[in-house]
Amino acid sequence: MHNLGFALDGAWQVLLAGLALGAGLPILFALGIRSLAWGAGSVAVDETGVTAGARRPAGTALGYTLFAVVIIGVLLGLTFIVASGFGYKLDFSNVVPTLVAK
Amino acid sequence: MAAARQLGHDHRVTETSVILALVVITALAFDFTNGFHDTANAMATSIATKALRPKTAVALSGVLNLVGAFLSVEVALTVTNAVVKIQDKSGAPKAELLADGGSALLLIILAGLVGGIVWNLLTWLLGLPSSSSHALFGGLVGATLAGLGVAGVNWNGDGSKLDGVVGKVLLPAVISPVIAGAVAAVGTWVIFKITTGVAARFTEQGFRWGQIGSASLVSLAHGTNDAQKTMGVITLALIASGHWGDTENIPLWVKVSAAVAIALGTYLGGWRIIRTLGKGITDINPPQGTAAQSGAAAVILASSHLGFALSTTHVATGSVIGSGLGRPGAKVRWAVAGRMVLAWLITLPAAGLVGAAMWYIGDTVGGTAGALVVFTLLVLASGAMYLKSRTGKVDHENVNDDWDGAAPAAAGSSTPVPAAAH
Repeated sequence: MHNLGFALDGAWQVLLAGLALGAGLPILFALGIRSLAWGAGSVAVDETGVTAGARRPAGTALGYTLFAVVIIGVLLGLTFIVASGFGYKLDFSNVVPTLVAK
Repeated sequence: MAAARQLGHDHRVTETSVILALVVITALAFDFTNGFHDTANAMATSIATKALRPKTAVALSGVLNLVGAFLSVEVALTVTNAVVKIQDKSGAPKAELLADGGSALLLIILAGLVGGIVWNLLTWLLGLPSSSSHALFGGLVGATLAGLGVAGVNWNGDGSKLDGVVGKVLLPAVISPVIAGAVAAVGTWVIFKITTGVAARFTEQGFRWGQIGSASLVSLAHGTNDAQKTMGVITLALIASGHWGDTENIPLWVKVSAAVAIALGTYLGGWRIIRTLGKGITDINPPQGTAAQSGAAAVILASSHLGFALSTTHVATGSVIGSGLGRPGAKVRWAVAGRMVLAWLITLPAAGLVGAAMWYIGDTVGGTAGALVVFTLLVLASGAMYLKSRTGKVDHENVNDDWDGAAPAAAGSSTPVPAAAH
């Protein structure tokens, strides 16, 4: 039965990481899209057409910031794949991700 | 006298070389089926939502698989250790299997690979996304059971880590789709809450890129994970037959050929499976696709980081189902999902049966002739399934046809891939 223990132990870690990155990043992305739309002043548009609204630069800026966060997250993911292939791993123990030799 | 012995030796070397060549060809063929069987995991949702045109999607996925295969410089020589005991911990083949130019070990690998390929092709014909890794492991387990008996199989590991058929195959198969499904369901549900009422010109374009990005990550991760397995198997065969002696490195030609095989397979595109995953399970729109692929990518990466072996297929399918559950108003076709889960359950034993049968045939005929017979059977079976696939063809042109409205394929209503005749 030891295998079941190891599996469940790994499973909740994968679930947490999956929720943080796999659900968290797309949620940030969706927030970014909403911010962009809000920044362009058209968040309340319905099927009848575009009602011109006031531009909100803060919304646009926030939108692009959120996209940047998502892109950084993806780049970290890529670094992770590449690094582990070359004998390095991403270390998050100092909060700032750093590459260390395995 | 010496000359005669020399001659005898040469003769045997040539015999093993023929078997070795068959093993290498079969391993690359498996890698190729692995590629086209799994294109769907990364690209089915992007194709279904038209974020990418079908041909563009498979080309992108193929290139990323190629790149991914080269990123995997980590030595995957011990790949078979997860389920069978034909290698030691360093990756060197077990000494008792090395008599007669390693032909005992070569036959086990050959029979196992044939089991994996036959099952991959059959599930592709039926449009079922089953796991290629499970097919390979199943084939190897079957061939090992036949060749070495029950003790040759690593059922439950040694208790020090997640290992064996139970730990590396069965448990992850049950757990990983559930995790991926939960992640995708949460992601989809929140995304829909956030973007309700946002103008389509923002959501359409935004989530199109979200989908392409997340699908690309899955492709890359697939190349790194799956191409390695073939590289490991080929190198094991080379070591067993005395053509390679380094358990720390993989020959460059093996790396290049395995990378090219999986990339070509991916580019060919398993359209039948893409159709099932993209259109059959649930009707996907761009925000759902983004959530599904992001969930899949995150779960695959987190798992490989934690040494939690899983199948890309199970994860991708779980996350597609999850995205269907998470979107308000979407329905999941449970009949399709159920047929798929059934295929997962029988993948290991079915590939195992073929692997075992191939071993018995190869062993009964014996030597090079036995290996040739096994290889010929593989060619015949593949050819038959290819011909069968020509009736009720699914390709890049009709991959996105409506699931429910499509006319049943000419092959008969029993086929789960309803494709419109073209």
